[in-house]
Amino acid sequence: MADRVYIDADVLILGGGTAGCLAAWEARQVGGDDLKIVIVEKAFIRHSGSLSAGMNALNMYINQGTPEDYVSYVRYDICGAPIREDIVLSVAREVNDTVSILEAAGLPMKKKEDGRYLNRGKWNIEVNGSLLKPITASKAYEAKAEIYNRVYITELIIKDNVCVGAVGFGVRDGKFYICRGKVTLLCTGGAAGLWRPNNRRDAHHRIWYFPFNCGSSYAMCKRAGAEMTSFDMRLVPVRTKDTFSPTGTLAIGMGAPMVNALGDSFMEKDPYYLSWGGHTAPTPIRMLAFQRETLAHRSPIYMDTTRGDSAKVIGLKGQYLDMSPSIVLYWGCNDHDPSREPIELDGGDPHLVGAHAGMSGAWTRDISRETTVDRLYVSGDALGAAPSRFISGSWTCGRIAARHMVKALKDNSYQLLEINPDTLDDMENRTYGPMRRFEEKSPEGVWTDGTLSGGVSPKDMESRMQKIMDEYCGGRTHWYFVNETYLSIARKHIKRMRNDQLQYLCARDLHDLQLAWDVINRLDVCQLVIEHISFRKETRFPGYVNRTDYPETNPDYDCFINSRWDAETDEVKCFKVPYQQLVPGDRRKQSI
Amino acid sequence: MPPKVDPTKCDGCQGEKEPLCEQVCPGNLMTMHKESLKAIIREPGDCWDCMTCTKACPRQAIQTVLQYQLAYFPGKLIPMVGTNSVTWTSIDCNGKVERFVMKTLVSGDDEDED
Ligand SMILES: Cc1cc2nc3c(=O)[nH]c(=O)nc-3n(C[C@H](O)[C@H](O)[C@H](O)COP(=O)(O)OP(=O)(O)OC[C@H]3O[C@@H](n4cnc5c(N)ncnc54)[C@H](O)[C@@H]3O)c2cc1C
Ligand code: SF4
Ligand code: SF4
Repeated sequence: MADRVYIDADVLILGGGTAGCLAAWEARQVGGDDLKIVIVEKAFIRHSGSLSAGMNALNMYINQGTPEDYVSYVRYDICGAPIREDIVLSVAREVNDTVSILEAAGLPMKKKEDGRYLNRGKWNIEVNGSLLKPITASKAYEAKAEIYNRVYITELIIKDNVCVGAVGFGVRDGKFYICRGKVTLLCTGGAAGLWRPNNRRDAHHRIWYFPFNCGSSYAMCKRAGAEMTSFDMRLVPVRTKDTFSPTGTLAIGMGAPMVNALGDSFMEKDPYYLSWGGHTAPTPIRMLAFQRETLAHRSPIYMDTTRGDSAKVIGLKGQYLDMSPSIVLYWGCNDHDPSREPIELDGGDPHLVGAHAGMSGAWTRDISRETTVDRLYVSGDALGAAPSRFISGSWTCGRIAARHMVKALKDNSYQLLEINPDTLDDMENRTYGPMRRFEEKSPEGVWTDGTLSGGVSPKDMESRMQKIMDEYCGGRTHWYFVNETYLSIARKHIKRMRNDQLQYLCARDLHDLQLAWDVINRLDVCQLVIEHISFRKETRFPGYVNRTDYPETNPDYDCFINSRWDAETDEVKCFKVPYQQLVPGDRRKQSI
Repeated sequence: MPPKVDPTKCDGCQGEKEPLCEQVCPGNLMTMHKESLKAIIREPGDCWDCMTCTKACPRQAIQTVLQYQLAYFPGKLIPMVGTNSVTWTSIDCNGKVERFVMKTLVSGDDEDED
């Protein structure tokens, strides 16, 4: 048995990222001095998560128009598909307030001469965000949250559909952490690394999304029996080739158009793209255009910085240093001058995100952020069906969740719940399973290269999973195309891995144990993705998921696809959930 | 892109409870080499290239080096972290040097741009 650490909280926050830190702050504001707020984080909150490299813009800010206009934009940007307008609206109403809180915490905002924030396009504002994460974390410190760094959460503790807390292991001390909360917020981010990445070997994590968010929030919610949504809508990134750095700086910031090898600005020529708005067409459509041009042999495709705003080109390297510094090194090492030459693009491995241009996540009740499991809340990338919240919206979402959590806690006088000791023993066995197996199997034999003869390493399992997903579930090498036959092969293999192969998964140390759980979680999420894509018998997000057997949209699927996992049968049961339009207007157009 | 640690500069953060690079890495990748007692990345391919460790090292012992599959030798990018700003020096493969001072934090003594 491992040494145990017991932690009891009023408000338990799992994942001290963008959403988690601001949730802690808001919980203190509304909950008062006596509230016990705990954050459990697998890394170190000052530098963890998606913000760890810094960012140069907040992509959600109401610079103009109304919160309703923002909803209209978000809807349009995913091709008019259903979104949870209630949730996006609730964020849009408070996002400006949140930004001013972070400005007061020291975040350098770029400003115009009139003192207003410097906008980038319609809805973004520019910042010097190199220290975005330390500044975000300072709000959690200010709130005097009790912070446990380097604890990897593996499972939620659920009793009769009520969330009691969570368990995990100390990445440094190896102890078994048992955390109880009267209410629990899960915000451990989205999922990278399900599909095979473009770069191999020593560059395999050179991907767009943060590679250390491995779908734990989705997998844990799924295993807890929560209703999940929109795993049929993944994000396919078109980014700078090789480094997969963000391109908003180029496209929105400088107005650099995408061009093909012939120098054609195809978004402004093809009537189909024009019907969607040309250069500013919805994100999936721009991805689709990139794919089509490439498949028609008119690649390479570039973002033509030479045609953008020349005043902005001068500041380009600085902007990237605030967010993706290595691309500046990459340019220096490849004799590339972005002000003179266009920047080549590529399509990367798909990612699952709830808060960016994707909407996978847990389904929540009204705008409370409470999942269908009682007392379990989600925010940030973990929250589904409400895309385009980004950094500022994830901060805001954390705040809103915290407010609802504290209210529910007080209104219902929630108490901590007892956990059956046998349940804890089982959970401990599962948590350390891959490491204990390593010890058991070591005497059976070790090859001369140090690997076990009786087991499989997390890395090897990850490679197998990524190959299956890439080749049978519409990865980059298949240009994001899928059909039912491919999906059935993916289903068969992922099922085999989950049900038969995990018994061989062995972890040599605590770091390896994290990698083992990363792959366990990813495999759980793969199952959701396959079943959701298979259920949506149409192509609603061209460019993201291209179904060759159902290439058109079908009005029968103008709804959310939600699901529940049945632990007894290991089936993911998908069903349709109707969409409610709150903001009137043509869903395929922006209101402003 | 993997951080490379210069053994002549790294002192293993003696005196710290945990070496700073190890403390900050969001992917838990930096660790102490058991024999040399200097920092090393567990697995270069797992690095996201956030440069947090490079910026955190008090002895400037860490250099971010691009994987050779992606870029030529021997360009460099060196951050010097100040109180309210970071100064980046970029030296391309032809030896051309560029400097960028980027603001990082607004505070009372905002003039201090070291
Ligand atoms: C490359 C990139 C560029 C982006 N650019 C912009 C931009 O320019 N502007 C913008 O507004 N938005 C941008 N975004 C989006 C924005 O960063 C995200 O929407 C937002 O940060 C999501 O917040 P979060 O709290 O869900 O995730 P995160 O901030 O990533 O937090 C998740 C936390 O959970 C922790 N964690 C993960 N698993 C576990 C576990 N099992 N146990 C314990 N802890 C765990 C992680 O270490 C992390 O601290 C970008 C995102 C990426 C990836
Ligand atoms: S932070 Fe620098 S000096 Fe300290 S251990 Fe790491 S590389 Fe060595
Ligand atoms: S660059 Fe970032 S991910 Fe890579 S080792 Fe350093 S801190 Fe870790």
